[in-house]
Amino acid sequence: MRASRLAGIVLALVWGALPAGAHHSFSAEYDSKKPLTLTGTVTEMRWANPHAWIYIDIVGKDGKVEKWAWETGGANALYRRGWRKQDLVAGTVLVIDGFQARNGSRTANATSITFKDGKRLFAGSSSQNSATK
Amino acid sequence: MAARFRVLLSALALSIVALSCARPPAEVAIPRTADGKPDLQGIWQVRNRASVDLEDHVARHGMPAGRGVVQGGPIPYQAWAAAKKTENAASRQTSDPLANCYLPGVPRIMYMEFPFQIFQTPDHLAMTFEWSQVHRTIYTNRAPAPEGIDFWMGDSRGRWEGDTLVVDVRNHNERTWLDMAGNFHSAALHLVERYTMTDADTIQYEVTIEDPSVFTRPWTIAMPLHRLTEADRIFEYQCQAEAEEASGAFEPEARTWYPGPSALMKIPPEWNGESAQAASKPPAPKGEIRRLADGKPDLQGYFMSDGGGANYGLGTHEVDFLTPPGRGVIIDPPDGLLPMQAWATIEAEDRKTPERGYDDPTAHCFVAGVPRSMYVPSPLQILQPPGYVVVLHERMSWRTIPLDGRAHLPDHLRLWQGDSIGRWEGDTLVVETTNLNGKTWLNEVGEIVSHAERVVERFTPVDADTIHYEATVSDPLVYTRPWTIAFPLNRQTDELLEVACHEDNQDLQHLKEIRDAARAKRRS
Repeated sequence: MRASRLAGIVLALVWGALPAGAHHSFSAEYDSKKPLTLTGTVTEMRWANPHAWIYIDIVGKDGKVEKWAWETGGANALYRRGWRKQDLVAGTVLVIDGFQARNGSRTANATSITFKDGKRLFAGSSSQNSATK
Repeated sequence: MAARFRVLLSALALSIVALSCARPPAEVAIPRTADGKPDLQGIWQVRNRASVDLEDHVARHGMPAGRGVVQGGPIPYQAWAAAKKTENAASRQTSDPLANCYLPGVPRIMYMEFPFQIFQTPDHLAMTFEWSQVHRTIYTNRAPAPEGIDFWMGDSRGRWEGDTLVVDVRNHNERTWLDMAGNFHSAALHLVERYTMTDADTIQYEVTIEDPSVFTRPWTIAMPLHRLTEADRIFEYQCQAEAEEASGAFEPEARTWYPGPSALMKIPPEWNGESAQAASKPPAPKGEIRRLADGKPDLQGYFMSDGGGANYGLGTHEVDFLTPPGRGVIIDPPDGLLPMQAWATIEAEDRKTPERGYDDPTAHCFVAGVPRSMYVPSPLQILQPPGYVVVLHERMSWRTIPLDGRAHLPDHLRLWQGDSIGRWEGDTLVVETTNLNGKTWLNEVGEIVSHAERVVERFTPVDADTIHYEATVSDPLVYTRPWTIAFPLNRQTDELLEVACHEDNQDLQHLKEIRDAARAKRRS
């Protein structure tokens, strides 16, 4: 019960942060049952369209570094949501949340990022969002 | 008598000389805009080989010989950069960004052997290029350049110095070249372009190229741009789409693609009445609308369609994980459902499977077609230069809509974005689009149109910041009757950015993996 309400909230957030080209195949690629929140260090931000990618190193439970790739909305959607190059240079520490890939790889679809100072930026865009500014 | 006549003649000659001394040399007549600026509007192209090599060059494979356009000596490379240029030249068949159909950047796009069209308003100069539906806007409205973002095509801010348009181009990335010969720059590139009309059909185009990371000093190229006086339109060269069709990476859909001049699909005459009926009542204005000096509605500005999730289904649809819900935009038929023929219903169901995601042309970053371009979730800009309505889509594509009552292209000429012709009916801009190639999808869930599609769009401003948009699609190959969608286009304050899509498209590979896995499973 509680979990499904939480899922509802998460989904509402996702609608607010859909990647610009959210394709039906996203549901084939990412798993709605695998929500995920990680804290890590940016190694690379690839400002691309139709979707951008953030590469993050996290320290796993065994103390080893894991490399994760997070898909976001397109570069323009991110820019309009306040993402700037200088804020996402390699070495930036942030919390990132979203949904993991179905195939179990260290790949995920990002919903938002949160910086150390608590500033949170959504990771995508959708038609209804851009339309309502 | 004869002597007196001679005296008269020489007096006349003297007075002519005196006159011409008293005045500046007779000015060459150039066209001017209503506000008195040189009118650069028209279709232009170079007649040189600068796109092959900016410097003097002999012929090599696929690279015809030509004279250089660099002023005053060789390109002043720093030593490391000269070595890099030589390396680029050697590997150009794979490393030239254009060999991969990437955006050419500025200035290279200006001297490629493809025509482009300039549209001019007091605040903007828009350039639409035949090459891959690239467009470029030169802002002459004194708005500042954005910071912290770079573009393949740079950011262009112009001002008039007398009769010369002077343009600063900044915010470049480091991934474009200057020509096929491997001449290159860094992201520190700053260009100053100068456009000066030397007669009615010639623009002298000069660019000063400054890049302290690569060159030892600024240097200049100069060349004329010639008006293509015989052309009334430019066409499309969709570089990546052509490449993928040729290689088989993008597969034909036999039932929707234009099969050739044998296909004479006529819209049933009774459909015209029906579609006209669907859109017979333009919405009443809710407030003051903007108008141009000639009294016509002023539709100009940046807009975002409130397409209600139409890019993920035109009818009402529930949210799917990571796909937005839709309120439904079909206003006719009244049940809000697309009136598909049976075969098309089956095909549309098949396209909804994840493996068909790869077949959506926009997944390959190809242009969206009409009407989809109007509701993809990216903004657009409308301009109204004399004689046209121009729509620039942030997802790199354009539509130029002449208002001069010209005829459509012959039926056998087919384009991704079709051939659009507009007219005013009261305060409604009516645009008819034909000559579509049937390669596009209506949205990501694969709703169908074919080459038989004809689209009638109606743009009606309802207040200063909202345009009511309707599109009636008649496609007798796919549907049992015409249908109409409607939604608002809402004014935005943001300028357009640039969607360079195919250049870094990692999604297509994922979609291909999903498709290939499904195909392999079916085979086994």
